[in-house]
Amino acid sequence: MSGAANPVKPLEQTGHEDPDKLAEFEQHIANGGLIEPGDWMPDAYRMGMLGMAEHHANSEIIGALPEGEWITRAPSMRRKLALTAKVQDEVGHGQMLYRVSQELGKSRDDMLRDLVMGKTKYHNCFNYPAPTWGDIAMIQWLIDGAAIMNQKTLADGAYGPYVRTMNRINMEEAFHFKSGEDMVLTLMSGTKSQKNMCQDAFDRWWPVSLMFFGPADKPDAENKPAMKWRMKVEKNDSLRQRFVDRFAPAAMDLGLIINIVTKNEQGLVTSASPDEELVLNEETGNWSFTDPDWDEFWRVIRGNGPCNAHRLSLRRFSYEQGAWVRRAIGSGTTSLPPAA
Amino acid sequence: MEAMLTNPLAVLILAHADDKLLLGHVQSDWTGLGPLLEEDIAASAMAQDDLSHALILYQFLGERYELDSDVIAFEREPVDYMCCDLVTKPDEFDWAEAVVKRWLIAEFTGMGIDRLSAIEDKELAARCNRIKPEQALQIKHLQAWIKRLGTAGPESQERIQAALDRLSGLAGMLFEVPGQRLPVNDDFCCGRDEMFKAWDASIQETLSQSNLKASFALPERSLIGGRRGTHASHFHDQFDELTEVRRVSPGASW
Ligand SMILES: [Fe+2]
Ligand SMILES: [Fe+2]
Repeated sequence: MSGAANPVKPLEQTGHEDPDKLAEFEQHIANGGLIEPGDWMPDAYRMGMLGMAEHHANSEIIGALPEGEWITRAPSMRRKLALTAKVQDEVGHGQMLYRVSQELGKSRDDMLRDLVMGKTKYHNCFNYPAPTWGDIAMIQWLIDGAAIMNQKTLADGAYGPYVRTMNRINMEEAFHFKSGEDMVLTLMSGTKSQKNMCQDAFDRWWPVSLMFFGPADKPDAENKPAMKWRMKVEKNDSLRQRFVDRFAPAAMDLGLIINIVTKNEQGLVTSASPDEELVLNEETGNWSFTDPDWDEFWRVIRGNGPCNAHRLSLRRFSYEQGAWVRRAIGSGTTSLPPAA
Repeated sequence: MEAMLTNPLAVLILAHADDKLLLGHVQSDWTGLGPLLEEDIAASAMAQDDLSHALILYQFLGERYELDSDVIAFEREPVDYMCCDLVTKPDEFDWAEAVVKRWLIAEFTGMGIDRLSAIEDKELAARCNRIKPEQALQIKHLQAWIKRLGTAGPESQERIQAALDRLSGLAGMLFEVPGQRLPVNDDFCCGRDEMFKAWDASIQETLSQSNLKASFALPERSLIGGRRGTHASHFHDQFDELTEVRRVSPGASW
């Protein structure tokens, strides 16, 4: 899974860059050119791309955790094999994206340390629980589906190594999505308890998918460096609209009900009722929908979501448990200060 | 099902297939948590090999006994699973133990599959021949890790040696005679004594190049353990997890 939606912090041009070089750089990007690691680039661009690739890499390896926990429970040989391969792909995406980040000047060990120390973030959607097999179907259908939409636009960016990595990753994401779609279809054409399992999981993941693309951009986002330098090429709201236009009718076709829900602290649904806002505007072809709870989004992103602590402590455990192996094979590793 | 569970050859095949299934199953606990990303990916590839090898063997049995391979894999009584309990022994997220355990089992399976493929049964041989190259790669990969970690300095040498010390006494389980429904003195086609000697020799060769020591013993033929359905509690924990989702809606398609 897992696109790098909304990791781009507002970039400030510091003004210390050589104006001629900056103009040449911006012209090159405006002409549709790619930036390669050895090329001149503004410091803010290097930092921004590093932050973006690192956030994306972190998301891939944290994203492996909720699904990884379900491999042992997968209900058939075919699903067990497919899920193992899928999670392996996600770790592979992490590896590729850490490589892109390393080239921008930060060591892998520093990145893994910053992640487990909570200094860097990963995609917010992995702070939600996956309590049933239905959630695994929904993650592969909705979250991988959202990631593909986002990552396709990121593949139109300007940083060469990141663009090439997105193209490679997107081919694999397409398989994940297909398999997710097949899992959802199987559950929805199954027994009563399978259908309930699927609807309950959909209730948990629909709002998370809407938040996936991040909150609305500032009105003048096109003129800010992130978009001007094509680190990001589409606004969050427009990605979200495309997602709803694609997935709302697909969900309804499958017999799923699109609900507005309230959740408890564990991320479990406490009440659900159909989204009355959900209507197709025949003229625009767009579906309107109820916005997700952005207060919840900010609460979770600040560290207070249902699974933030659990995911991070597992990664930290893995970092500490594996330190001796990395020392033995001479791969740089340093010990962590004690957990807070 | 009964016919399969009382046929000596089918039972021998199940012993290997169940080892593979449960090994791939327990090792997937490491997914996303491996000591380095490259090895996380390699371990996941091995788990996929194990699961697909189990499936190849279940499909072979399924065709022969007119059973669905998922039914064979998921729907037997625990007492009819013929994996040995070394496979499901928890490694407590100790990478040294995970690697040593995997390696001891992989060498055993490699030899078992070689012997299965030598039986006069063209179809079985064809299935085994699909498994062999991947199994050989797995063994090579694991031997390389044992050597590397055994010779990388005192810290990792001690950890690998400690894992060996914990597991060497249990490794004989691999050679238990399988199948609780068969007489214990039934003569199996694959020569238990001879196979143990070959396995021990191969293990000792790697150990001697790795600054490590361990000795192994062949258990009595009459020993009753996991392979004869008397499983340790950790097998039952894994079995519950294996079948948890299927039990939500028995008989449904997943
Ligand atoms: Fe994916
Ligand atoms: Fe991914």
